[in-house]
Amino acid sequence: MKVTVCIGSSCHLKGSRQVVEDFKRMVEEHHLEDKIELGGTFCLSNCQKGVCVSIDGEVYSVTPETTKQFFEEHFLN
Amino acid sequence: MNNLCADIGYRSLIKHGEQLCGDRVMICPQGEDSTVIVLADGLGSGVKANILSTLTSKMISTMVAEEISIDECVKTIAATLPVCKEREVAYSTFTIIRLVNNEEAEIIQYDNPFVILLRDGKCYEFPKSEMIIEGKKIYTSRVKLHEKDIFIMMSDGVIHAGVGMKLNFGWERKDIIPFMETFYEVGFTAKTLTTILLDECNRLYDKRPGDDTTVCTIRIRKREPMNLLIGPPSNEYDCDKMMSLFFAKEGKHIVCGGTTSTIASNFLGKPLRPVLEFSDPDVPPIAELEGVDLVTEGVITINKVLTYAKDYLETNETYAQWGYKKDGASRICRMLFEEATDINFFVGRAVNPAHQNPNLPINFNIKMRLVDELAECLEKMGKRIKVSYF
Repeated sequence: MKVTVCIGSSCHLKGSRQVVEDFKRMVEEHHLEDKIELGGTFCLSNCQKGVCVSIDGEVYSVTPETTKQFFEEHFLN
Repeated sequence: MNNLCADIGYRSLIKHGEQLCGDRVMICPQGEDSTVIVLADGLGSGVKANILSTLTSKMISTMVAEEISIDECVKTIAATLPVCKEREVAYSTFTIIRLVNNEEAEIIQYDNPFVILLRDGKCYEFPKSEMIIEGKKIYTSRVKLHEKDIFIMMSDGVIHAGVGMKLNFGWERKDIIPFMETFYEVGFTAKTLTTILLDECNRLYDKRPGDDTTVCTIRIRKREPMNLLIGPPSNEYDCDKMMSLFFAKEGKHIVCGGTTSTIASNFLGKPLRPVLEFSDPDVPPIAELEGVDLVTEGVITINKVLTYAKDYLETNETYAQWGYKKDGASRICRMLFEEATDINFFVGRAVNPAHQNPNLPINFNIKMRLVDELAECLEKMGKRIKVSYF
């Protein structure tokens, strides 16, 4: 599964660094390295809904506060 | 004509307890390739010294620039400087370096510590001829310029650093030479070399300089072009035109901005790969793109570069950060401040709809102002700047 986090200006200001680091940590904790390929991308042209995260091409909106919940919903079931 | 140019940087430490510096550096460009640099040290300290050194440096630089003989200059200064009531002398020591067509240096020295010339990593003691004008002993020299020559001009505050505190006789010239030789190959800018030398003086003085202390460094180097692209063009049909003009330019290429780098990636037909590393939490990550030397995010990164640039022109305290860090802003700083001498900015005026959100601290006007301010700072660093808008 390819998971890309937007690191453009707008998402950066909304906390994309935090989201990336939380994802990295959780992937490691749950030993999902083989299943999830984490990557970054510049603007996904959906800045109003930042931080933009795309999973296999579908764009979701995540914030540093909802990262954990988002991760559990999408990757731990 | 040759392909050389001079990178000049200077700074002073003010005597502890004083408000004004009694040393003065004046740089007077003459056309494209000639420059007169004067470092004057006024007698005493504070206001009086400041006036003496300001008058001296201003007069000398103007007169030397007009090709008036050194004999005449010194006589004029001796005759015009106000006389100090307590000491009954009018006095300001000076060092003059005149770079002629970036081919030759004419060096005139009166009572300041002798200029240090570093060549091929070693100190080169160039010949000096002595002359007496109005009872003052003045040394003149002519030196052919070589690429990577470093000239260090100093006021006596440098060699007096640490007198009676950390060092018995102060920091002697013969000991300053090996200290500076170690930085010869690193490629530091003139301003950074100046900062390194002054920081050491300040340390020897226990941060309470006993005298005004000034260093002016001149680095002779090859011209190095650099190109920076930021922002998509206001008319999207101009993308190809903007890209082909940008990539046709000689020198390294920096692309700033997410959308902008996507356009560059399409133009080059190469994939854009963001690097998910946050070396500085404030600066978004960089990306890799074949054919481009550096790809960064736009506004936030440039804003950080501008902060560093402003500091560079003042005390240059942050060189220790941008000098080695791996984030996009620090990398741009090293390329623009250290490597480049001629910088072409390609600025796209498209308004990014995503940035017009009032909740975000960035908008179109800020972006345009950032580029203008950065260009201005770089010009003050002595670089040739060209800005093209699309």
